[in-house]
Amino acid sequence: MESFLRIWLEWPSVAAFIMKHTWAWPLGETFHFFGIILLVGGVGLFDLRLLGVAKGLPVKAVTRLLPWGVTGFVICVVTGLMFVTGTRANVPMSPYDVIRTNIWLQLKLAFIGLAGLNLGVFYVTGMNRAVDHLGPGEDAPVLAKVIAFASLFFWLGVIYFGRLIPERL
Amino acid sequence: MWEFLDAIENSGFSSYIRETPSVLGYSTVLALHTFGMAFLVGLSGVIALRVLGAVPQLPLAPLKALQPIIVAGFWLNAITGLILTSLAIHSLLTNWDFYVKLAAIAAAIVALQKMRHYAFGETTAPDDAPASPRARFWAGAMLLFWGIAVLGGRLTAYATNIRIETGRAVIVAVILLLVAARYVVRRVNRTSAANVDNVEARV
Repeated sequence: MESFLRIWLEWPSVAAFIMKHTWAWPLGETFHFFGIILLVGGVGLFDLRLLGVAKGLPVKAVTRLLPWGVTGFVICVVTGLMFVTGTRANVPMSPYDVIRTNIWLQLKLAFIGLAGLNLGVFYVTGMNRAVDHLGPGEDAPVLAKVIAFASLFFWLGVIYFGRLIPERL
Repeated sequence: MWEFLDAIENSGFSSYIRETPSVLGYSTVLALHTFGMAFLVGLSGVIALRVLGAVPQLPLAPLKALQPIIVAGFWLNAITGLILTSLAIHSLLTNWDFYVKLAAIAAAIVALQKMRHYAFGETTAPDDAPASPRARFWAGAMLLFWGIAVLGGRLTAYATNIRIETGRAVIVAVILLLVAARYVVRRVNRTSAANVDNVEARV
């Protein structure tokens, strides 16, 4: 398993591309940030509405922003994969060793998983249907609020731990 | 003047934030700076998307309620930004990219205020009405300036030639993404309108 991950995670072509083109890494960083902004604008606003912020917004209308949030997440995943698979362009470590030894990267990945699990709970408990027709001024059920708070907590945790990753490189 | 600025850079507070092995130092300030950016740019960006017609189903007036969070994001950014500047005041104040970032932030804040004025000022307009051309102009300008500010922030640590190359690469990538996004948004909005027409026809 270890040897499989060592080979699978390391993409010499990505590292070589980053080393050859000095703009590639800062371009990835810039788009990682654009992704975070889209994620917080889309998913974050949905969570905030369920928590009672901007209650004048009908929830159905706010769900129209979710594709923007998902786009932001996809941009973050693509650029994040570029950082991982091209690690050797910046540090003399294999991506596998970085993932194995960097507690902040591990926590970031764990929080992304928890955010996904939290989204699963939102659907499995039927909260998606319960909030879908909430009109202006209407309150979300308590469970939906708990899930929305957890979502904000996990995503902010992902950003926080992401910022700590260089501490251990 | 430089002696005073150097004194700030070498103060106990700046030295602690810069050199402490604790994660609660530099990295946490940097993370808080990112939180501020995410809420400030993310939520003002949502208003801009609605004003520009990318999310026409979103009623405009209730978005006014996001202002306190946008303002909180701004102040979190301003305070953490001042702290981060104090850690490397000499190198930042002699870095042209830093001034580009500050100018872009100032321009984005002016554009945000103008967008708010024109978008929320039309109190008699119904919630689903398209925003005025002036509001749309300032929404577009604000997104452009936020983009430059984010890019400027990322590039402060790089050499001038890398900044210029990255700037070009970002412009090309953003244009390609905007063309793709425009296509997708038009398709989604057309499909939504067709669905509404079908429902109305059935009724």
